[in-house]
Amino acid sequence: MKKSQITRALIEGDGILLRRLCEQIEESYEVSILKAPEKSLVMTKANDSVSQQPFYMGEVLVTECTISINSVYGFGVLMGEEAERAYQLAVVDGAFQAKLPETEAWYTELLMEEQKVDEKHRREYSRAMKSKVNFDTMEEYNAKR
Amino acid sequence: MAYVAVTGGQEAIEEANGLAHFYRVKDTTPSLDIESIEKQLRLLVDRVMGEGGMYAPEYAALALKQAEGDPAEAAFLLRAYRSTLPRNHYSLTVQPVDMRVIRRISSSFRDIPGGQMLGPTYDYTHRMLNFSLRQESNEDMIAFAKEYTDAAELADGSLTFKKVADLLREQGLMAKAAKGKSEEQEPFDITRQKMTIPTTRAARLQALTRGETGAMTALAYSSMRGYGVVHPTIGELRVGYAPVYIPYPYSSEGGDDCLYIGELMLTEVETINSFKQDAESGNVQFLLGYGLCFGQNELKGISMAILERSLETEGTAPAQDEEFVLTHIDSVESSGFVSHLKLPHYITFQSSLDQIRKVQVQKAQLKPEEDERDANNRAEAEQPQENIQHSRV
Repeated sequence: MKKSQITRALIEGDGILLRRLCEQIEESYEVSILKAPEKSLVMTKANDSVSQQPFYMGEVLVTECTISINSVYGFGVLMGEEAERAYQLAVVDGAFQAKLPETEAWYTELLMEEQKVDEKHRREYSRAMKSKVNFDTMEEYNAKR
Repeated sequence: MAYVAVTGGQEAIEEANGLAHFYRVKDTTPSLDIESIEKQLRLLVDRVMGEGGMYAPEYAALALKQAEGDPAEAAFLLRAYRSTLPRNHYSLTVQPVDMRVIRRISSSFRDIPGGQMLGPTYDYTHRMLNFSLRQESNEDMIAFAKEYTDAAELADGSLTFKKVADLLREQGLMAKAAKGKSEEQEPFDITRQKMTIPTTRAARLQALTRGETGAMTALAYSSMRGYGVVHPTIGELRVGYAPVYIPYPYSSEGGDDCLYIGELMLTEVETINSFKQDAESGNVQFLLGYGLCFGQNELKGISMAILERSLETEGTAPAQDEEFVLTHIDSVESSGFVSHLKLPHYITFQSSLDQIRKVQVQKAQLKPEEDERDANNRAEAEQPQENIQHSRV
């Protein structure tokens, strides 16, 4: 799994999973906080579909945190004021970076969480699709009558 | 015009702050909960985030509570707070084509691949006050949301849609990216560099995307009413969630790792304005306008697309004047400048007062001579009148 995939499952998924993975590492390893959770900004670049070139759309508030496990860095970041989750993400990332044996068992859980997120999105999408519309021109409308 | 710093009034200012607080809370309970503002006034929150230039729904809701619902003040609060934070990262380019769409319409093409979905909109509702909302309880809200979610089925297929602009491009109905520009150029950043006129397209889009909705709507409307040349149809309007990624800061050299940080709700609009003949190919192609902004703010997205296109045209209308448009649409600048008139301008006023008094003194000195001259004039004017009266008698 790529980092982008792992972080998406952890951020969009149930917070209980993230907390549990973090606690699992904390129980067996010493986690040093190098940079405590702090708020910062991410400048977002977006694609202009006319020129097909990017422009800066505005900044997003994020919370980020850096830790180390066995002298290996772990980094966590997510949108909003989310100190606890930023720390938990950093610990999980540190575990992956340090290639800790616990992480081997995580992939299945992360894939399952990813599936749950996908289902949630599919349900939201299906509600939106209920408002799918086919407009008739007045000519067509009158012809049907 | 001269200005001077003033001091004093500390106690009065503290009392004024106390009064503002008092008028916010008097005769009302419970205190507005931030989450309720964020969720139940979401369109206002979206507007404030866009104009404040920072995507942070919770903070936008807090700003609205603090500002008693004034969007200009709330955007100012958000923009000011934003300036206290470090910018540690830049995102990878957000691709609105990757949006999880919840609304997608086209007023130009009836049959767009994937179809049109109305999504959450008030476009087709009667504008009548819904008095039943006065009785809406927490239980009602929870029950409706649960029933609505539970009834949702699991949709198949892709949750994203190809963009109408890309389809037009594939069919040769819209210009492809200019040669040599297929690689991403680093955009201009108006928050870090001073924007000079004429400016780049990227700077223009950045200024428009954080412009004030009302000001942009007014200027776009002026263009459509005849003070300009842009009166488009909507090629595509989409609202949805776009994922945002940043590069992994501890990535090994050459690594392409990136981190997901969350989703942004965005409104994207592509308008079709007119067409022109491509000089190279001889093909006739559509000219599109582009709008993209934070949250669900369709009025702003459409206005942005109109103004963006309008600024690509030549003419004398206000909406075609880059400096006029870009320097007057910023909420913080415009509301700040108008509001500053309420602050002390004593020196400016004092100099005007001095001049008036000087004129009054000069006039007073000339008064005796004027009075004598006026009396003579009146006497001369009245003489023939008397004669007339006598003759009548």
